[in-house]
Amino acid sequence: MKKTAALFLLGIIVSTLLFAGGKQEASGKKEAEVQSVNFWFHLDDPEARVDSLIQKFEQENPGIKIEAERVPWDAYHQRLLTAVTAGSPPDVSQVKLWWQPQLVELKALEPLDKWISTWQGRNDIYDRVWELTRYTDGKQYLMPLQMVILYMYYRTDMFKKLGLSIPETREEFLDVAKKLTRDTNGDGNVDVYGFGIRGARGGHDWWGAFVLSSGANFEKGGLTTPEAIAANQWFIDLYRVHKVSPPTTPNDGFKEIIANMQSGRTATTIHHIGSAKGMVDALGDKISAFPVPEGTEGRWTSFGDEENAIFSASKVKEAAWKWISFLATKENNLTWQKASGQISVNKSNAEADYGELSRFVKATTESADFAGVLPAHPATAEFVESVWPTTMQRAFLGEITSKEMMEIFEKHFYGE
Amino acid sequence: MIRALRRKTDLYPYSLLLPALTVTTFIIFIPLVYTFGLSFFNYVIWKPHEIKFVFLGNYKKALEDEVFWISFRNTLIWIAGVISLQLVLGFITALLLNRQFFWRSLARSLILIPWVTPSVITALMWRWLYDGNSGLINDILVRLGILDRYFPWLANGSTALPAIMFALMWQGFPFFTVMILAGLQAIPTELYEVAKVDGANPMQMFFHITLPMLMPILLTTILLRTIWVANSLDIIFIMTGGGPGYASHTLPLYSYIRAYKGLDFGYASTIAVYLTLLLVMIVTMYVIRILKTEERFR
Repeated sequence: MKKTAALFLLGIIVSTLLFAGGKQEASGKKEAEVQSVNFWFHLDDPEARVDSLIQKFEQENPGIKIEAERVPWDAYHQRLLTAVTAGSPPDVSQVKLWWQPQLVELKALEPLDKWISTWQGRNDIYDRVWELTRYTDGKQYLMPLQMVILYMYYRTDMFKKLGLSIPETREEFLDVAKKLTRDTNGDGNVDVYGFGIRGARGGHDWWGAFVLSSGANFEKGGLTTPEAIAANQWFIDLYRVHKVSPPTTPNDGFKEIIANMQSGRTATTIHHIGSAKGMVDALGDKISAFPVPEGTEGRWTSFGDEENAIFSASKVKEAAWKWISFLATKENNLTWQKASGQISVNKSNAEADYGELSRFVKATTESADFAGVLPAHPATAEFVESVWPTTMQRAFLGEITSKEMMEIFEKHFYGE
Repeated sequence: MIRALRRKTDLYPYSLLLPALTVTTFIIFIPLVYTFGLSFFNYVIWKPHEIKFVFLGNYKKALEDEVFWISFRNTLIWIAGVISLQLVLGFITALLLNRQFFWRSLARSLILIPWVTPSVITALMWRWLYDGNSGLINDILVRLGILDRYFPWLANGSTALPAIMFALMWQGFPFFTVMILAGLQAIPTELYEVAKVDGANPMQMFFHITLPMLMPILLTTILLRTIWVANSLDIIFIMTGGGPGYASHTLPLYSYIRAYKGLDFGYASTIAVYLTLLLVMIVTMYVIRILKTEERFR
């Protein structure tokens, strides 16, 4: 009896294995015909989708299948780097410009020059975007996908009520921010703060707008000059001395600065067009935008970019190129931006109708001439991820001076 | 025949343990050894050409690293603070739930809610409760007249760590409650009856019967919670990310930041090894204590 049962069980196992093997073989043949491109991406809006673009591409390119994987933004950089190190990166991934030095150092990226040189769409991408995304070795590893330029959001109703005009210089801005910081209900406590500063991760864009425009730069020694230290002190004083930013500033991240603007807790802040729709939904015509004010040496704002990269470990590079060039082409790029909430990299989309967001597009284009990027240095990624927020918070708390803060940054990039 | 049977009997328990041992080897032992090995290397993953064996270099570097010592101090405060708060609250709750009242069963179930709430939700919930612009805690304190304005609990260097400790106390005290409650119910009622006959008052009964009888359970629970609390970084990471500055950096969090923000896996492993050594010391003290207790009862 036992023997019969054992034989029966063995029969089931063997037949299952045989069928499974057959199925695998069949699907293996199918896979040989269809090339799968593993694509990592992220979108700020959790409800936004890009399925229609994928379907369109797959219809136009039979034989290529896009396996899109949405990766949470907070863990994106770390997941990508660990996947590269483990030898299993995606075929294509959306990347930030400041990840490029590390990825090039790891020899993880495939140069795209051979494809771009014959690609018809290349002249439709802004020259400045090609310029900013080209790596220091002269090669083009990144395919432009979307761009944003940071500008100042402001509450039009509050400006009107207090008779304020758009500040052109940082001193004018400080004056405006002080006037906007006020007790509106007479209980003795400040209810509205003039400027929402992001003190947590990502806040280097706020810092850069005032410090990199007033004498600081990322060249060796450029962060520790007396002008750079003074500019940094000016920025720290916004919180510590003038108190024009909420007490929660050191820990305020993206969600907090947006929520504070939408709730009327702050009257100005810095961000890009990606948050414009949410702002308009919450505040209607009470919200508008202007370019960041001028520092002592001109203006500087952050060029926020995202590109696509093909990984050198990919076995389907041709298919991957077709996908990323598809996404950088006029109509498709505009469709992508509807999901990303950002701006197209195509010149031919410049006249696209952004509807109620036009005033934010205007602030973006007006800022294009002085938009800059963080240095193409392998240490930039860690600077953004942990060094800047930790050090800035310590300065905001008064644990370190402006000079000490800038020396930490200098040391991070250039050693002792 | 007998020998064969005996051999079979000898191998039998090991064969049963084999699946568990195999899994443990792959998911705990090998990574542990690997981490220990990594701690002797300069291993920054985006600098593949600079990976080299530095032996105790990372260990020396840690001892000279200001952030390591801040994190070490915070870890000790974190463990001692959270465990004692959870123990006291858990003990009080267990004593209350051990009394007779009509909704006792319901209360015993409700008390588990914080424990079964995922850490991410706990952290987000407390982050909004503490919020310095619209948080409920600030609202209540201002309405009661305790504060005259909203206070940035998580953005202040002095209050960030205690505020997170309070949140973790809330999440973890039910474990103490449940364990102590189980211990309380295992104490024979005769002991109390005899003590009462001898004229002992409730305080004497607590210190001479309840507490000694609960001691083995208390020690085991404290040990388990110490290990879990020492290793926990999710709540800190979500509530403050270790900030402001280094105010809420603990060793596991610092190790995580070095590994996943700095991509410096060598140094991150060293910090993790130091944390392991700290926990091994605590466990050793526990084992010695247990052995002494057993000696006394022998």
